[in-house]
Amino acid sequence: MVQMNLPQNSKVQKGKYYKDKTGSKNLRKVNIYRWDPSTGENPRIDTYEVDMDNCPSKVLDLLNKIKNEIDPSIAYRRSCAHGVCGSCAMNMDGKNGLACTKPHDEIKGDINIYPLPHLKVLKDLIGDLSTLYKQYESIQPWLKNTNNKNEKENLQSREDRSKLDGLYECIMCACCSTSCPSYWWNGEKYLGPAVLLQAYRWIIDSRDEDRQERLKKVADELKLYRCHTIMNCTNACPKGLNPAKAIAEIKKMLVTA
Amino acid sequence: MKNNNPLSPHIQVYNWHISSLVSISHRITGIINIVGITIICFWVIYLLSGESSYQILNTFLNSIYGKFVILGLTWSFSFQILSEIRHLFMDYGLGFDLKIANITGLLVILGSIIFTVLIFILGRNLI
Repeated sequence: MVQMNLPQNSKVQKGKYYKDKTGSKNLRKVNIYRWDPSTGENPRIDTYEVDMDNCPSKVLDLLNKIKNEIDPSIAYRRSCAHGVCGSCAMNMDGKNGLACTKPHDEIKGDINIYPLPHLKVLKDLIGDLSTLYKQYESIQPWLKNTNNKNEKENLQSREDRSKLDGLYECIMCACCSTSCPSYWWNGEKYLGPAVLLQAYRWIIDSRDEDRQERLKKVADELKLYRCHTIMNCTNACPKGLNPAKAIAEIKKMLVTA
Repeated sequence: MKNNNPLSPHIQVYNWHISSLVSISHRITGIINIVGITIICFWVIYLLSGESSYQILNTFLNSIYGKFVILGLTWSFSFQILSEIRHLFMDYGLGFDLKIANITGLLVILGSIIFTVLIFILGRNLI
């Protein structure tokens, strides 16, 4: 059954207020979701006043500034800071994205930062993605080709290679899957946009010999057909990819095969 | 082991956009339509059971509540049909580009309102 409300232990409370100490006139309020596993308390929203005159342009810069200068206890994932690794995926201003590529001046009003939606929180902005990784493993994301005695490269025509465009760029940041209401309500069974886009990436690869098996495995009422083209995934993808279309292509292959 | 960590906020914080609105409305109008068809069936049964029972229904349908129900159902059916056509194209793999999906979504919303007004005016003038 669809659960709209958050469970009792997940209800968000008002947290601390960190007043500006720099005396800057260019201040913005940043509301950040906090949860500390060691206290046993409910999650809370802490508010920080941040001096925007000395803050670089992206939301990740803003978080770094808060962590370095105001509150070192705040936890979030980040690594490359260039939109390549997908670590800093989070919900900013009601939409999933990468903190390192999202400019904070695109956000009007107070800046609200939450972890990726509908995940078990590990700490503050860090969500538990282990279910998604298990699902990713289940689609066997590697090339299956028995012709491995050939000592030359496994060539592909330009046309076949171009079929992977818009798929291979996926960095598995999970912005799409955690934006999807179907994945919220059926996350254990529905594979979700990220994993289905990856599934399609191997299905459509001309070098892969396991296409029929892959299609058969994914053709499931729950695994695939929970997609109702809500399009939150495509709307959220920070790399501009289109998981909704990839899922539609799988569905199309299944009826035309 | 049971995981007692909190669940991060989802529908409480996520922004709506045209495609998600059309999608949820598609579901809601689908349910309304089932109820609507049932009501229409009862209407037909009332018609068969004679003038007095027809009068009861007629008075209701001409009251402000009745008109609201009729307009509501007209909109609900219009929306469902237009949205279904959008889905038909999507099943064919078309219209997934974000811009196009937003435009077709908007067309569904506007179209359903225009259809409602047109059908209501046409119906009023014919009867």
